[in-house]
Amino acid sequence: MTQAMKTRTLIIAAAVIAVLAGAYAWTEYDRGLADAGAMAVAERVTAAELLAAFRADETAATARFVGTTEQAMEVTGPVRAIEPQGAGPVNVLLDTGDDMAAVLCEFAPGTVPDQWAPGTSVTVAGICTGMLMDVVLVRCVPVE
Amino acid sequence: MRTLKHLLLIAALTPIAAALPTGQAGAQDRFGTRTGSISFHSSTPVEDIEAHNRKVSCVYDAGTGAIELAVLIKAFEFRKALMQEHFNENYMESNTHPKATFKGTLTGMDAAAKRSAGTYAVTIKGDLTMHGVTRPLEEPATLVVRPDGSLKGTARFTVRPEDHDITIPGVVRNNIAERIVVSVDLDLTSL
Repeated sequence: MTQAMKTRTLIIAAAVIAVLAGAYAWTEYDRGLADAGAMAVAERVTAAELLAAFRADETAATARFVGTTEQAMEVTGPVRAIEPQGAGPVNVLLDTGDDMAAVLCEFAPGTVPDQWAPGTSVTVAGICTGMLMDVVLVRCVPVE
Repeated sequence: MRTLKHLLLIAALTPIAAALPTGQAGAQDRFGTRTGSISFHSSTPVEDIEAHNRKVSCVYDAGTGAIELAVLIKAFEFRKALMQEHFNENYMESNTHPKATFKGTLTGMDAAAKRSAGTYAVTIKGDLTMHGVTRPLEEPATLVVRPDGSLKGTARFTVRPEDHDITIPGVVRNNIAERIVVSVDLDLTSL
């Protein structure tokens, strides 16, 4: 291989690497939020267990259910209420057995199954973000 | 059913409501929400960044003017996952500081106006705690008293990240505005 051919090969290889690196960087920059239903499930608990964990030790529960990096969890419990939030998301409140707090699950519009109603036992996958008045899960999806 | 729902909400709001002055206002003076909205917007020639959080908890005592808000930092949603990761991990350090709060008062309405439907220019004044740093905040806001007695509160103000010890690395300093525009929108129902 002549020196000219070596140089041309190196230039082509460098260009290919640059294009691949650029494509990866753009894909990573433009990456959307992950679908909670497609993520690995880090925890599976009932709504009552989730609230009890936060009530007992909020710091420990935050470390376990919220995590240091985004993680999905599944929560099972009876529906207390389904409340559309204007034209935006729909909030499904799961009963915890404690009238003072619920597990508040935010769904995208049109993603709450029609058959869900107060009293229905359901399982929700979502991203736990912590506890204010309720334990809050966002980007929720129903689990069949 | 409506009464039961309100009783449940009063009970759920107790941790925040407990901090409000008591004995000065009847239950009809207290309003609250657990699904208020807050968003922020950063605009620079390099890029626009915005995020939304629709799970703001708020209790407002119309009798005393006391108001408290709390938000979970990880409940802010961005369009791009990388922005959300950087926001939580590099800037807000939400594992260490998971919540932001505001405690203060809402002034500028006389007692009669509080019970009359209309739109009122008010002032919100208090302490904003974010990233573990508390700073005073005093900004104009709007309060709408609806005919059914419910309230809608809105405010728009700016916050400097540096005021809350949020460090922006030099390499992305031009990507993030010096002053972040914050918008708050609360539908408050009687407790």
